This record gives sequence, C-alpha cells and structure tokens, in this order.
Amino acid sequence: MAAPLVLVVLAAVTVRAALYRSSLAVFIAERVEVASPLNAWKRVVEGLALLDLGVSPYSGAIFHETPLIVYLFHFLIEYAELVFMITDVLTAVALYLAIQDFNKVVFKKQKLLIELDKYAPDVAELIQTPMEMHYIPLKVALFYLLNPYTVMSCVAKSTCAINNSVIAFFILATIKGSAFLSAVFLALATYQSLYPVTLFAPALLYLLQRQFIPIKLKSKSFWLYTMQYASLYLCSLVVIICLSFFLLNSWDFIPSVYGFILSVPDLTPNIGLFWYFFAEMFEHFSLFFVCVFQINVFFYTIPLAIKLKEHPVFFMFVQLAIISIFKSYPTLGDVALYMAFLPVWSHLYRFLRNIFILSCVLIFCSFLFPVLWHLWIYAGSANSNFYYAITLTFNIGQILLISDYFYAFLRREYYLTHGLHLTRQDGTEAMLVLK
Amino acid sequence: FQDQAEQFFRSGHTNNWAVLVCTSRFWFNYRHVANTLSVYRSVKRLGIPDSHIVLMLADDMACNPRNPKPATVFSHKNMELNVYGDDVEVDYRSYEVTVENFLRVLTGRIPPSTPRSKRLLSDDRSNILIYMTGHGGNGFLKFQDSEEITNVELADAFEQMWQKRRYNELLFIIDTCQGASMYERFYSPNIMALASSQVGEDSLSHQPDLGIGVHLMDRYTFYVLEFLEEIHPASQTNMNDLFQVCPKSLCVSTPGHRTDLFQRDPQKVLITDFFGSVRKVEITTEALSLDQNVTGFESKFPEEELATEPLKYAEQLPVAQIIHQKPKQKDWHPPGGFILGLWALIIMVFFKTYGIKHMKHVF
Repeated sequence: MAAPLVLVVLAAVTVRAALYRSSLAVFIAERVEVASPLNAWKRVVEGLALLDLGVSPYSGAIFHETPLIVYLFHFLIEYAELVFMITDVLTAVALYLAIQDFNKVVFKKQKLLIELDKYAPDVAELIQTPMEMHYIPLKVALFYLLNPYTVMSCVAKSTCAINNSVIAFFILATIKGSAFLSAVFLALATYQSLYPVTLFAPALLYLLQRQFIPIKLKSKSFWLYTMQYASLYLCSLVVIICLSFFLLNSWDFIPSVYGFILSVPDLTPNIGLFWYFFAEMFEHFSLFFVCVFQINVFFYTIPLAIKLKEHPVFFMFVQLAIISIFKSYPTLGDVALYMAFLPVWSHLYRFLRNIFILSCVLIFCSFLFPVLWHLWIYAGSANSNFYYAITLTFNIGQILLISDYFYAFLRREYYLTHGLHLTRQDGTEAMLVLK
Repeated sequence: FQDQAEQFFRSGHTNNWAVLVCTSRFWFNYRHVANTLSVYRSVKRLGIPDSHIVLMLADDMACNPRNPKPATVFSHKNMELNVYGDDVEVDYRSYEVTVENFLRVLTGRIPPSTPRSKRLLSDDRSNILIYMTGHGGNGFLKFQDSEEITNVELADAFEQMWQKRRYNELLFIIDTCQGASMYERFYSPNIMALASSQVGEDSLSHQPDLGIGVHLMDRYTFYVLEFLEEIHPASQTNMNDLFQVCPKSLCVSTPGHRTDLFQRDPQKVLITDFFGSVRKVEITTEALSLDQNVTGFESKFPEEELATEPLKYAEQLPVAQIIHQKPKQKDWHPPGGFILGLWALIIMVFFKTYGIKHMKHVF
C-alpha cells in the first residue's frame, strides 16, 4: 500500500505547490472561512515581527498562538510553505497508519463476536470483509489530502493544519495502544486549541477496551487505569504550559490564547455560530450566552460516552465533528479533519437516509460563502444576515450529516444483534427510529 | 439716556448663525424634515442669509419616491404651506448628516477641502441658533438610525466652541422625545436651551395629512412656528414669551428650558437676537479725514541675501536602498533554557516510548 500512498502524496503536494505559485494564494489567504483570528498566517507573521521589535507578541490582541508555535516558526518562517505541506503529508500518513491498525482491531473484534455467536443468523451481508476494507486507509489519506477544504487551508497557511496534525498523531498513538504518547499528543492538542480535551473520553474508552478492562463504575482496575491516564495527560499539559512560560518569561499567553478562545471577544465573521449572535447582543447578557455556547461544545461528551462506549473510534469521530461545528472560531481546516474519516464508515452507506441532500447542502454552501461575502462586503447589496444564513445552513448540514451517520451506525449495530428483518409483535415489518 | 445706552449694549453680538439639523431618514420621518425646513424658512425670513445657515437634512422628502406631491414638503395639513422651494440650500444632505460631521461643523475641525457653505465660520461675536430634531431618548439623539450623539458629547462640543471663542451666545432648541435630557449636561457659559419634552416624556406629532399619508409636523415645532410667524425683524418679543409657547394642554408633553448658564436675563433677550440677523447700525455725523501724504512704509528688515540652494523635495522613500537591502537580522532568539528543556522532553518521550535499548545506538 505504500506506492499508492506515495502517489497520492505527490499529487497533493503538486496541487498545493501549484496553488502557492498562482495568484489565488493571496486571495485564499484572506478568506475568513479558512483564516480565523486564532490561526491566520498574517497574525503569526505579525507576532514574530513584534517579537523582533522587542515587544511581547501578545500585546495588542493580534496574536493568539501558543509559544511553541512561536518557537517553531521563529526558525522556519522562510520555509513556511514547505512546513505546511509537510504537516499535511504527516497528518495524512498518520491517519493512514491509524486506520490500518483500526481495521485490524475491527476484524479481530468481529471474528470474536461471530465465534461467540453474538450476531443474528441473517446478517452476513452486514459483516465487513477484508476485501472491501483493503483500500480504506488509502481513501482516508486521499480524502484528507485532496479535500478542497484542506488544500485551501494549506494554501492560506493557517495553523489549523498543525492542530490537525497533532490530533492525527494523537489518534495514531491511541489506536496503537500507547497511553503515554496518546496523553502527550492530547496534551499538545489541548494546549493549542483547548477543545480537544473532549477527546479524552473516547481515547480513554479505547485504551480500556484494548487492555480488556471492563467499563464498570465499581471496578477498581477501571479507576486505576483512568487515574493513570488522566495523570499522564495532566502532567504533560502542566509541563508544556510551564515550558511555554520559559520561552517568553511571562504568563501573557494564557489570557491571550485560552481567554480568547473562551470569551470570544473578536467577532469577525467565520463559518461558526458565535459571531452573529454576539454581534447583536447587549453587554450584560454576553457572559451568560458565552457560557451557554461554550458548555454546548463540552456537553455532548458524557451522553455520547454512555451510548457509544463499545465503539470509541466512532465516538472520537463524532466528537471531532462536534468540536469543529461548535467551537468558537471554526475554519474549513477543522471540517476537513473529520471528513477524512468518512471512508471508514462507508459500510454504513445503505443506512444513510439523507446523504444526497446533505452533500448538496454542503457543496452549495461552500460555493455560496464567497459569493455572499462579496455581496455583503464589496457590493453592499446584501448584509450580514445573508452570510449568516449560509453559515447556519452549512452548520445545519454538518450537524445533520453527523446525526445521519450516528443513526446509521446505531442501526447497523442493532441489526447485527437482532437480525436484518425486524418484525413487530403482530408480524408486520418494523422500522428502527432514533429517539 | 442710561436706558438708551443700555438698549444699545443689550447684546454683544454682531452676526448670527444657524445650524439646523434633521437627523432622521425614511419616509415616515417626514415630519422631522418638515420641522427643520420650517425653522429654516422662518430664520431666513427674519434675515439670516444662506451663507450663515448650515442646514443638515438626513433624507430627501421632496424627491422621495413615496411623495405623492413631488418637490414639496408641507408643514400644514391640507397642503397649506410648502416649506420647500428652489431657494432652499441644503448643506449636508443624506448620508453626510453624521455625528462626526455635526461635531466637526460645531467645533470647526473640518478638513481644508470643505467648501464654505459647509462650515460654521462663527467668531466670538456670533449668536448661534442650533435646532435639532429627530428621534431621541434619555441622554442621546439618534442619527440616521445607525449612531447616536450623547448629551455629554454635545456639552463637550459646546465647551470646545466656548474655548475656541466660536460663539457669543448660543440658543439650543431640540424637538425629540425626552429632549430635556440633551441639555442637562451643558456647562459652558452663555447657553440657553429649550426642549420639547421632559425626561420620560415623548414628544408627539401634530397633524397627519391623509393626502400625503404621514404626520407633517411635530407639535412643539408647530406651535413655535405659529409663534415665530408673528415675529418680524423689528419686534421686541423676548425669550420669556418663547418659553410659554406650547403649554401642556396643546403639546401633551411639558416643554422645558434652561437659562442658568445664560448671563443676561431672558426677559431682556430678544427673539431676533437668535432667530434674525439684526445688525446694529450706529449713525455718526463726525467726519474722519484720511491723510493724503502718507509716507512710504519703510521696511524694518533689511533684505538679506539668503544663501539659496536649488530647492528639491526630500527623499521620501529611499528606493535604491530598499531594493538592495539584505534581509533583516532577527533580534529575538528563544532562551537557551527553553530549547534545552524542550529537546530534553522530546528525547525523554522518544526513549520512553521506544525503549531504553535504543540509547546505545545514539551513544
């Protein structure tokens, strides 16, 4: 499988290099859909320039990157394009390896359940075979590298690519079973953008499954392992934060990065849900609604953990999607990361109900974003409501996509254990409904 | 004799200015434009020329597509009185009526390219009438449905005018809801203020015209205009009469006024001191002779030969230097402790994951 992967990587690198040399690079770099106040390249350059002038880069609410990014780009700023291309390639390779391992895990589990007779007799067509799953890792890498969202994000040199790469390494480490590395990468991801802390739950569930520790609240080994993992994670987080202190000898970065993410002061339009709402809100309500919106991101972890505790990787996918929809400054790079996972669930295709409409919605909205931006900002014949309508529609499309996949996944699991042809008590055919 | 002298020195002003502002746009705010144009008409009739009037109208009602009688703005129902015409000179029109432009007009901080008609060229002997109408609230007046001016800003603008000697006396009239809040914060001397309603009250509109479909005037301005119609340049009516205009029975709101900052007694202040442009003329019978043989003016400064070198512009952008510049040296470097710590951590993580046995390959 190495050769097709190399081909895909080459194709991706060519596309990006071609775009870097064209005039589109400047246009894309300014688009608000790919460059948010948190990860715009302009701001990184500005922060480093401020540092050269002897001023803390966090003065002035321009620069919201972490000190480790400062360190990284201090030396690599002339090779920025190369850095971002390599980052994308690393992400794709990490996802490739992770999904390869995950497929092996899926097969082992399937084999175990078949031998234990846990499946109903007539579900042969639902079982995944190695033949059909052979190309899935390649497809995942392809989906990530050649996704227009990723390409645009890379051409815009948004540091979202670095965040994606850290999360991809975290997923690789989790699936390989190394709790230590997984904790370290999760700490790095959290350190950079705070929201991946919700990925702690699926990672923990996966590692517990791998160690064959049952997930019961009374079991001592469960709590022991949880404590171990949590302490690894927290210690690495603390170590990274203290190390960042030594870079600039100040704690300035904490309000600039985490305070900024949590309190959402900058209301530049983006593809998220926060800006419009807070642009028209009175001051005395804004604290309450900021809290409500931020809780909304973290809120779905526990219910999903309860429902999906047997399927932590799907849980991770849903959690990634929730982060990229509900975070305070989402960009298309975040969307691209969870979309890379869609080939892994391609066996759910027969259960997806709205996939055509949703893909149309997402594609049309992606095309309408620049159109309505132009109409609003340059032509003056539209206003922010138009752009927000498209944002809303895009997010609704994403949410419906995730819930569709969720429904399809649960439906397949139900069919596997209860058989394909469900009948009600009186013998007529039954339909599964997600309540 | 004392009386006559006193009469002559009643008011120290030599010229009159008027700044008339309508701050609302949209068709249903027709009455605000009609208010302002009516005051404009009266002020012009009483003698203030267009060059001394700064008229700011936020919207064009006469040529509004919804106007059933184009090129007219009526102020009485049944279309009795058209206050528009071809002698109306609007200085700030439509989107130019902003808080910034209004404050610039008042304080005189105007870009050099502004035409004379848009400037308030008053001096320390000017009496200025400032009339504002629109939608307001407690402490603010709304401009164009998108921004506000607060009473504090207005008071500060007047103080700037006082410190720059831009007025002798100022009469401020405001016809909006809760108008009295706008003059609460004034603190500069020689300002008299009138408002159409107190804080907490709304100013109401007067007459709807069924032919045009909107309210044509606000009550307070309507009665002020009825009052002003009786004034002519020689009348001796004073400010106390103006304060009595529009009692609560007619206006529904309670008009207010403020005279504590004004140095003269309102009884002695004529209406025409602000609304008209009454010049004081003193006729003298003395003759003044101009000397025919005036000696040539000797220049006090001997002409010096200045060492002249050819004049040229300073080098604005040293292009030659820039294009051949070497890349700038970076001044900041990460501290050594940080680099050491970071790489030590990375190496520790690496060895922890992959085992100590690789150490022997490194060393």
